[in-house]
Amino acid sequence: MKGQLWETKPLECWQKAKELRAKWQKSIESKEKVVGQGNTGFTADWQVAFPAITVIEDNPAGAMIASQSDSYARTCRLACEIRGWGREICGYHGNCWGAQFLGYQIDGSPFPNRSFVVPFPCVCDSHIKRGEQVRDFSPVPRWSADFTMYLGERDPQREEAMIEHRNYCTLKEINDIERIFGQKFDDEKLIELIRASDVIKQYREDVTMFMTYKPTPLSVKDLYSFYTLGGLTKLDPEETVNFWKMLRDEVEWRAKNQIAAVGTERYRWMEAHPPSWHYLKYYRYMEQEYGAVCIGSQYTHFGSSQLERKPDGSVGDRDYPVYSTQMPLETREDEMRFLTGPDARAPHHFKIDEYTRPYALNEFADIFQVDGALFGLWRGGVGCTLTRKEQAMKLRDAGYSVLMYEGTQPGDRNDLDELRFLNQLDSWMESQDMRKLDK
Amino acid sequence: MITAGIDMGYESVKIVLLKDGAVVGRAKGESGGAGREAAARKAWEEGLRNAGIAEGDVNRVVATGSGKYNVEFADDQITEGLSALKAIRFLCPDATAVIDAGADETLVATVKGERIGEMAVNQKCAAGLGAFLSYMARRLELTLDEMSGLGRPGADSPAVNDGCVVFAELEALSLLNQGASPEEVAAAVTEIAAVRASSVVNDITVPAWNRVALVGGLTKNTAFVNALKVHAGMDFVIPGEAEYAGAVGAALFAAEQRK
Repeated sequence: MKGQLWETKPLECWQKAKELRAKWQKSIESKEKVVGQGNTGFTADWQVAFPAITVIEDNPAGAMIASQSDSYARTCRLACEIRGWGREICGYHGNCWGAQFLGYQIDGSPFPNRSFVVPFPCVCDSHIKRGEQVRDFSPVPRWSADFTMYLGERDPQREEAMIEHRNYCTLKEINDIERIFGQKFDDEKLIELIRASDVIKQYREDVTMFMTYKPTPLSVKDLYSFYTLGGLTKLDPEETVNFWKMLRDEVEWRAKNQIAAVGTERYRWMEAHPPSWHYLKYYRYMEQEYGAVCIGSQYTHFGSSQLERKPDGSVGDRDYPVYSTQMPLETREDEMRFLTGPDARAPHHFKIDEYTRPYALNEFADIFQVDGALFGLWRGGVGCTLTRKEQAMKLRDAGYSVLMYEGTQPGDRNDLDELRFLNQLDSWMESQDMRKLDK
Repeated sequence: MITAGIDMGYESVKIVLLKDGAVVGRAKGESGGAGREAAARKAWEEGLRNAGIAEGDVNRVVATGSGKYNVEFADDQITEGLSALKAIRFLCPDATAVIDAGADETLVATVKGERIGEMAVNQKCAAGLGAFLSYMARRLELTLDEMSGLGRPGADSPAVNDGCVVFAELEALSLLNQGASPEEVAAAVTEIAAVRASSVVNDITVPAWNRVALVGGLTKNTAFVNALKVHAGMDFVIPGEAEYAGAVGAALFAAEQRK
């Protein structure tokens, strides 16, 4: 390969990942279960402790629709528009709600109508609307999970009140679901998942850390392929833990032996948002044309950890309040508190970090040794772009090149002008003296 | 050493020939829509004739512009940002920023030594582009020169929206039907083109407005330039060869490659 700078090879755990992914997909297609809509979480979430309930989250569902078929996704969004939803709503929701209105899924099978809704708690108001629409469509129960956030200095009293409020809400939801659907909440199952998730989280943190190495052993394109495997934890905690151990060990070996994800890596860039799931080609385009590899974003890595530069110059997990993994989980309240964590502002959430820490992305750029940042601006929907321009200014102040582009929001191809976008990437690269690799 | 730059734009193709760092020939023609290859060849031959140079004497040809890959005889291609930078370092060496206002793109770049500091281009809106003004001139049955000579609209003058060129056109036609003159409507259209173009200027987050050079085809539209000055809140230098700047930059790049 021309321009190759590093040794590279395919991931050995790739086949296993595909098997697990197929297994997870099959599990959520079960027709024997009550289907709810809400936040599936990346690893553990309380809904999993209802053995006969499946919770589907419309972020990944909408992303998959967008990724699998432009034609079907357009049909879905048109169905939404006909019902009165504007084109600016989140593409994920347009896809999911449209499928619901149409009554069938991409393969023609009946749309699995939801039996209850627990909206994803998020600062993005479009995410909150998701529950509203499903309940309007049919009279299913809906519980609102509040989003806790405030700016400024930490306030312990406020923290405690917020956390207890969230815990109370969740406990009430559990009681209601037990009563309405006649199902027993399995506390032991949840505890097992919490413990497994903790192990996985450490593995994920390690993978994140190894992605700071040059060359990066994983590109974000690779990482996204393992992203949904957190959901598998609910199905088979032990197998998922084993997989992440396998992935972590392989990534460590690659990092320490300079086995690159992209053999031509000569430029590293970051994002700050979910990608356009229906148009992931830009990752490959940047790799193939320029040897420019994306090492992710706070969005990509927030599920594992946020790294920070320590006073001695080393890199480690950011200091923030956490419960000990050995914390006794003797009551359901304990379980809920553990899931919520001791910080009501959820410091792992990528968007909050941008709100509360003006130089959040600068630190990220420094630690991951990036050369530039690519920030999309959406017309609406996923990964709201508030503060993005301010973050770009701060990155530029620190000497990083930033391309802002009016992108195509992650579940909606309508805004995509492929050639124009690629031309912008070319211009951005050339503005940094990067020319296309010889083929 | 003789090099050539070809700026294959949306509406026109521009050719510049450089000999030992001096412009020795230029040519301009319509870009030909779907027939860009033939249009490039035609302009190329005219440029060679104008310069009195045989094709075989040209050491290197570099293309830029949205149709740069349609120039089959080009040795290389560069993006519009880089060609604008190269051009402005040559045409206006003390410029701290360049605005390239063309038919299909408005590009703003700050100059950081021999490199681009920051760059912004228009997003998915055609209202600030030369193509929009050309199109509206045809609809209003005015020449581009007539459009260029218009004054800015007054406070009570008709206005059209700047959100979508198709709707702007419909609104313009409605205004005509309500008795507005073509000149009044053209002035309103030019105004919104300048507003949209100024939004790209405002997209630059690190101001470098000490000395700004304006290049590209829209430099010939005086009404647009005057309106852009107002909306961007700055004055511009329009260097010689401003319309050919993209081609100049490409030719300079070709010369650098030959060194």
